[in-house]
Amino acid sequence: MSNNKYWQDLEQKEETELYKELSSKEFKDEVTTTFDYVEEGAKVESTGRREFLKMMGFGVSAAVVATSCKTPVRKSIPYVFDLDKDSRIPELVPGVADYFASSYAEGGDFASILVKTRENRPIKIEGNPNAPFTKGGTTARMQASVLSLYDVARIVQPRKKGESITWEQADNEISSKLDSIAAAGGKIVVLGNTNYSLVTQKALQTFQTKYPTTEVITYDPVSVYAIRKANKISLGSAIIPTYLFDKAKVIAGFNCDFLGTWVNTTENARRYAARRVPTKENPTMSRHYQFQSNVTITGSTADYKYPIKPSQEKMVLIALYNKIASALGTSTLGNVSANDFDEGINKLSKELLANKGESIVVSGTNNVDIQLLTNAINGLLGNYGSTIDTGNPLNFKQGNDEALKALADDTSVKAILMLGANPVYDTPFSEKFKSIISKAALSVSFAERLDETAELVQYITPDNHYLESWDVLEPKKGYISFAQPTINQLFKTRQVAESLMNFAGAPTTARNLTETVGQTFTSNVPLNLGNTSWESALQAGFVNNTNSDVSGSIDVGATVAAIDTKLPKTDGLELIIYESVSIAEGKQANNPFLLELPDPITKVSWDNVISLPYSYAVSNGIKAMEQHSSVPTGKVTVNGKEIILPVVISYGQAPDTIAIALGFGRNEGFGPAVYGAGENVYPYVSFDKDSITYTSVGATYETLKEKKTIALTQRYHTLQEDNNLPGRPKRYRSTIVKEANLSQYQANDKAGNEDREQIQKHLTTLYKGFDTPGHHWSMVVDMNACIGCNACVIACNVENNVPVVGRKEASNSRTMHWMRIDRYYSGNPDNPDVTFQPMMCQHCDNAPCENVCPVNATSHSSEGLNQMAYNRCIGTKYCANNCPFKVRRFNWYDYQGNDAFGAWNDHTDAKYMFSDLTRMILNPDVTVRSRGVMEKCTFCVQRIQEGKLHAKAEGRPLKDGEIKPACQTACPTGAITFGDRNDENSEVHKIFFESGRNYHIYEEQHFLPNVGYQVKIRNKDEKPQFTFEAKEVIG
Amino acid sequence: MRMYFWAIKVFKMFNRGNKIKLFAFLVCLSFMIPIHVFAYTPAEIDINNPEHQARIEEGQKLFKANCAACHKVDQKLTGPALAGVWSNWDSQEDLVHWVHNSQEVIASGNAHANKIYNEFNKMMMPPFGQLCAEQVVSIMEFYVQSEELGLKPGGGAAAATPNATVSADNGSSSNSGSNKWILIAAIGALALMAFALISITSKLEKIVDVKIEEREAAEKEAKKKGTGKKIVSILIIFGLVTLGYTVVKGAIDLGHSQGYEPEQPIKFSHALHAGQNKIDCQYCHSGAEKSRHAVIPSVAVCMNCHKYVQQGPKYGKSEIAKIYQYSGWDPEASAFVNAPKPIEWVKIHNLPDHVYFNHSQHVKVGGIECQTCHGKVEEMETVKQFAPLSMGWCINCHRQTDVQFANNDYYSIFQKYHDEIKKGERASVKVKDIGGTECAKCHY
Repeated sequence: MSNNKYWQDLEQKEETELYKELSSKEFKDEVTTTFDYVEEGAKVESTGRREFLKMMGFGVSAAVVATSCKTPVRKSIPYVFDLDKDSRIPELVPGVADYFASSYAEGGDFASILVKTRENRPIKIEGNPNAPFTKGGTTARMQASVLSLYDVARIVQPRKKGESITWEQADNEISSKLDSIAAAGGKIVVLGNTNYSLVTQKALQTFQTKYPTTEVITYDPVSVYAIRKANKISLGSAIIPTYLFDKAKVIAGFNCDFLGTWVNTTENARRYAARRVPTKENPTMSRHYQFQSNVTITGSTADYKYPIKPSQEKMVLIALYNKIASALGTSTLGNVSANDFDEGINKLSKELLANKGESIVVSGTNNVDIQLLTNAINGLLGNYGSTIDTGNPLNFKQGNDEALKALADDTSVKAILMLGANPVYDTPFSEKFKSIISKAALSVSFAERLDETAELVQYITPDNHYLESWDVLEPKKGYISFAQPTINQLFKTRQVAESLMNFAGAPTTARNLTETVGQTFTSNVPLNLGNTSWESALQAGFVNNTNSDVSGSIDVGATVAAIDTKLPKTDGLELIIYESVSIAEGKQANNPFLLELPDPITKVSWDNVISLPYSYAVSNGIKAMEQHSSVPTGKVTVNGKEIILPVVISYGQAPDTIAIALGFGRNEGFGPAVYGAGENVYPYVSFDKDSITYTSVGATYETLKEKKTIALTQRYHTLQEDNNLPGRPKRYRSTIVKEANLSQYQANDKAGNEDREQIQKHLTTLYKGFDTPGHHWSMVVDMNACIGCNACVIACNVENNVPVVGRKEASNSRTMHWMRIDRYYSGNPDNPDVTFQPMMCQHCDNAPCENVCPVNATSHSSEGLNQMAYNRCIGTKYCANNCPFKVRRFNWYDYQGNDAFGAWNDHTDAKYMFSDLTRMILNPDVTVRSRGVMEKCTFCVQRIQEGKLHAKAEGRPLKDGEIKPACQTACPTGAITFGDRNDENSEVHKIFFESGRNYHIYEEQHFLPNVGYQVKIRNKDEKPQFTFEAKEVIG
Repeated sequence: MRMYFWAIKVFKMFNRGNKIKLFAFLVCLSFMIPIHVFAYTPAEIDINNPEHQARIEEGQKLFKANCAACHKVDQKLTGPALAGVWSNWDSQEDLVHWVHNSQEVIASGNAHANKIYNEFNKMMMPPFGQLCAEQVVSIMEFYVQSEELGLKPGGGAAAATPNATVSADNGSSSNSGSNKWILIAAIGALALMAFALISITSKLEKIVDVKIEEREAAEKEAKKKGTGKKIVSILIIFGLVTLGYTVVKGAIDLGHSQGYEPEQPIKFSHALHAGQNKIDCQYCHSGAEKSRHAVIPSVAVCMNCHKYVQQGPKYGKSEIAKIYQYSGWDPEASAFVNAPKPIEWVKIHNLPDHVYFNHSQHVKVGGIECQTCHGKVEEMETVKQFAPLSMGWCINCHRQTDVQFANNDYYSIFQKYHDEIKKGERASVKVKDIGGTECAKCHY
């Protein structure tokens, strides 16, 4: 029987032979060299003697040729300024990064950001730490967005039916067509996704004044229209309030991924985490209930999870409402029995009632009745005005589903302009929009790339990337965030607002528009350094005029009266269409960083898959992953539409459901990276009564005979809980995850960590250790704050030039990510507890990798860093094989295409990372590693060196928190803390030496890691299923 | 022989220099005549007066810090030459006023102020309010005058350069006659030796031809005895060792290019700019204190001075004309008329991609002189790579160089070293003691 308490998949849980084999090896050993690398299905030949001699002959002659070459002459070309025109020569110092305040806005994502530019080229996104709501937090999509700027698939100049034209021609032809359509009273439609850009809105007003027959229609690919519609009834206005998760003691989420993909995720995550980390001084935390159909990162972070089918959500909410209403003595909503969930509903209702005014009930389902129910419950609990702030409503997702439906059925459209919209791909009315476009006298798209809609329209007038644009955004009423270009336009593109003004015959620049709009908000901005108030505001990046008071009231009576209590029917399997953390709605689907980012739950990259619940897989004998990364494929049929995708098992997913992620299955024009990846599931999205619904009933599933190799990253780099090794004394447990519940922690701040003292007593070593006369860099990861959002992983990729390896290589266990987020399950596989554990090089002071390197390429520094000298590495891979944390990565190929032998990579999928354009993202302070060398997390040593240099240059001691690695700055919840352990006033020092929660992975093996983890505390009444009893083991 | 040719070269050079100097002097003189009306008399310097010496020194420091970017004593730069500056002004107060706020003086209608302003294309001299009147006088009267008169503290006027040249000339010309005879004698001796050698070899050849048969027989005998084997194996071992040594040495030197001295698109002379004109390195290489790159200046920096300096001492107008071409400047029209073009300088100091080097760390924090790594650039006509820039060279310096430990608060955290220094156990802290020889200090 298994001894594993924490597992990543079933194989590990049951400790099968396959698991043992895979986890005991660092590398998959079937394929090792280029010469073996052949197309799938072809015969694999081993390296024979002849082959070896060929290689050697080639190697020697290549070396001879290379060494006899003349050293290339390098040029050093200074900047060129037009001295006559540039009266102010920009103060640019080559080699020093400049940061510009800007904003990122896409779907439910928003943050005020700082764009790091080197030599005038944006290379990294950081959150703006001064921004009042996001406070420096980011998401994975934001971090990756800088690569979308350098995307080879961008449209480089205006087009007419596929032919390149000039802007002048486009402007003339489009305006004259618009003129004649408007003169004849023909309907002009501007169809857009939500934008809260005041600049674009101003341009739209001008456009509408010029062409009065214009109708502006907004929709969102993943809509929250029902929230606005329900709030119109409950609150009197169609708003989305700000949810103050930091003020709630009890949070109940219903199919709402408010930390990952819903609306305002960055602010939500920060507020949520603020109350999820108990400390010795304040050992309290909020309690989070999640009723979920599909497993999300939000659900995985919850304390209590209840898998419900989508069709059951309304029933559960009515039952919850009835419980609360009857307790409060108000009328209930009919007699609904939710027997299966009684336990959870009872528990939740009791706690909600005990925390009136300090709780939040929130649902992400786009259904008006469900939203009315949550409003009514929140109303009864008095949450409006305390944890739900309607005074500062959010401007995210203003899409109107009904208007979209009406437009799709409208046959009188004469002109249609796609303002960032792609209705042919991401609405349920794909065919209808195709016919509208084909019938319209004028169709224009502002798309940045040749998406599914853009390839059908007459004119494409490409928009700038947001890093090339000016803007004034209002994501929240009263909060104004500015955007400024950080690079000149790379191509002949033009900002939408500018194009609209041109079409309206009032040409102006986006900069002028932005200044005009922006200056109306900056009258009270404090001036700095002789700048005008506008310049000062632009430099700060935002102006905050929101209400500091929380306000809100609700009409519960009207809300309840509007609820239709009829329950939806359930039938067979239910299909859930969801947004993944990486690809989300699919706007950035061609971003290789995001494609290679494993889904936090399924751990699949490069594809969308069919997720089946564990119970269904067991009862139907579906064995996912009998082979290394080869999985069965399945066919899902709903309403006669079929889709075939690979199948993975999801633990904690509601029984009899199927979940598939959105955003895949793109056309060729959208981009080479995503083309051919996954299938498009937007056709399964449907319009139901008054809103778009993302679930369907009556699906059938069938496992097919074919297997498919997918880039599944959970089968490699698996840490082993090897406390059942033969001959090993039972005194120790080889711990990866430690956890306790809140009451245990309140009784003892070392709860779950009781054995640490004993372990430390037993540690002995033959090595004399390292002296750290100055700094001793250390990191602390708080598993309570970590929500598994993966922003850190992408931030690390961008900061450290970590290459994208492509689907084939990823499926071959060769992702290069320096950092990953391990996802551990424990307990009942139908509804397990989940722990997210960010894993990166632990910088052990007693590192197993260091003493096996034959050439001393990896060594220890006097600052506690485990250093990796790439140019010294000869690629024996001994270090990787000896690393218990499995964090070392080997460059099997020249993934960045930086050397002359790049052609060897032709058979990998990574080609799109090879152009000079995409290489513009590279951080010039970090070496681009070549083929054949090992690499790993460096604790962002370039940032350490830079921080130290600043302090030295100013002749002052280094301040705590001055140096932050990329993962720390990206984190929206503050889960990662970095600092100098030798500095007694540093945060890291305090946590390392004073926190009872701090522990190290495999501590008993005396690796002395410089990364500490904080015991996961769950706010549960029950003890963890594997509560550790110290006396049981130590003896 | 060499001495002789060098002497002629030097002589010619000075001769040319004299002519230019004379010409310049006459031109200056002619300019001075009409202006002289405004002149006021500067302070009279007594070079042996320690007070005056101190003021000259003060003036020199202030001049370097504040004025040298735009002014020289004897030459027009961005601004006018400062020699005899008092001769342009009615009073000391006016001059000081000008330095403090030139705009006010221009506005007041001062004739000379307006003349200078117009002469320099209405380019404003920035106000130097931080200098008090006395400091301005130290610069203008004490330092400038001392330079002009060639006064050096401690010994009146220094020997005039032309005199020195003349004496050098005399020395070399008196030697030149005997040199010629030595040369002829040497050639004769060499010819004799060559003749002797040729005759000896031809004789030896004849002998060898006779003995060759005998030798072959002897060799055969020697082989039988085995002595040949020993020699051969020793030779082989020796050959292998030599080969190995050459290969290893060659391999280590691969990619090192000490002495690299490529031709540049413009014959820019550091010897002239940094050496003779004493322009600070960082006036052009402005990144050295701020960035990892010292920065090659843009042509805009060149144009700060070369809008006015249109002729050089060595190449005349030809090289400076190239700057005008790159910058699009028309010296006739005194305006930028063409679009600027980039100058493709050839990079001399190349480090491999896997090495991170930061100038500011060394220049600003470490206080290392530029010359430590770049050699005496101020003496180089064309720049060449002075140091090998090899890892051994870097590491060696990191082992030997002291950290500026005491006077930088950053190092206060190294308590252990501070204690050791206090106890006298440690004389200094080397770069290696704070991790300066660890991989991740330069490789990441």
